Amino acid sequence: MHVPDGFLSPQITVPAYAVSAPLWAWAARRHFGRASAESLPVIGSLTALAFVVQTIMIPVPGGTSTHLVGMTLLALLYHPLVAFVCESLVLLVQALFFGAGGITVLGVNALAMGLLGPLAGWLVWKALRRLNEKVAVFAAAYVSMQVATLAVAGALGLQHALSARYFPVPLAVVLPATMIPSLTAAGLAEGAFTLFTLSLLRKANLRGVSLD
Amino acid sequence: MASPWTDPRASRALVVGWLAAVFAISALTDLHALAAVAAVALLVFRRGLGRSLRRAARSVVPLSAGLSAISWAFLWAVRGARPDVEPFVALTLRTTIIAFVTFAVLDRANLFRAFEPWPTATRLLVLTLAQIHALRLLATDSLQGLRSRLLRKPRARDVVRSAGGVTAAMFTLSARNAREISEAMRSRGF
Repeated sequence: MHVPDGFLSPQITVPAYAVSAPLWAWAARRHFGRASAESLPVIGSLTALAFVVQTIMIPVPGGTSTHLVGMTLLALLYHPLVAFVCESLVLLVQALFFGAGGITVLGVNALAMGLLGPLAGWLVWKALRRLNEKVAVFAAAYVSMQVATLAVAGALGLQHALSARYFPVPLAVVLPATMIPSLTAAGLAEGAFTLFTLSLLRKANLRGVSLD
Repeated sequence: MASPWTDPRASRALVVGWLAAVFAISALTDLHALAAVAAVALLVFRRGLGRSLRRAARSVVPLSAGLSAISWAFLWAVRGARPDVEPFVALTLRTTIIAFVTFAVLDRANLFRAFEPWPTATRLLVLTLAQIHALRLLATDSLQGLRSRLLRKPRARDVVRSAGGVTAAMFTLSARNAREISEAMRSRGF
């Protein structure tokens, strides 16, 4: 789902870094600050977990596949900013060690998949959890996926508006191409995955893993 | 002869040069400029050329070329007039050059050496990569286990159900394992 290097010009990627950098610093200080000796293993394992979850491919009718993001899980268990830091690290590791995604678009992808999506999911969960917790978790993951996809499509659409010579595909083509698989398959899979994982983590009764 | 990139400063310089280069390439739209940059990149990174080209061709070209071709055909069908091919070719070329340069640099730079002055960053990288390796093995084993238990091909529901269980197990294992690695690294001065 994330944007690869070369699809967005510095007109978008540089401001995205400018927005992301203070947020990374703030999030790292707030959630992984003083006790970094204790929290580093947790960040490392959460990042690795998110990385592996993103390699789990979901078959989509038509012969293609999509993948889970797993960030709503982290946002609900900890905080959207924790999800932002972990997703940024996932994207960095993908770019540096596996040649996936890209370093120039890291800020854009981190904001879309690590911040906007999980934040929207977290807000949905906050709003719905008193009504029905399972529905709230599923809806949070579903909305998170849609918001992240919409943000990615929006960035590509903005690039086309800024320079059609740079990115010649208009939003009218990008939007359905990204949103249809997200609305019909990826969002549902993310919702089901988040719900199953949370219920299993609860049964395992792990220390420090709680929605409350 | 030892590789020059084993020196931390050289590795760091290579990583910084790569960052500047990919941002500069990502600003190009002119086909001639892109062709010139491609020629320079092929010349500079001629050692291991085949490997980097193959990796770029496998990971980036199908996506960018496929997207460009489909979008071009779609726009032609919708507008009734043939769209200009040049921006689509430039998009594919730009993504391919960036991927090639990235793979060529990653083959040469020792990222752990480059990150040496920042022990916290090194520890985080080691922890993350160690966990990724362990968890990928576990995820692959689990997926193969799922396939062997089912007579038919796993459907989306099967994969998601299995992923939920595996994730819970991975979370527990990973947190414990990462803490052990972190303590071992701290005791060694990281």
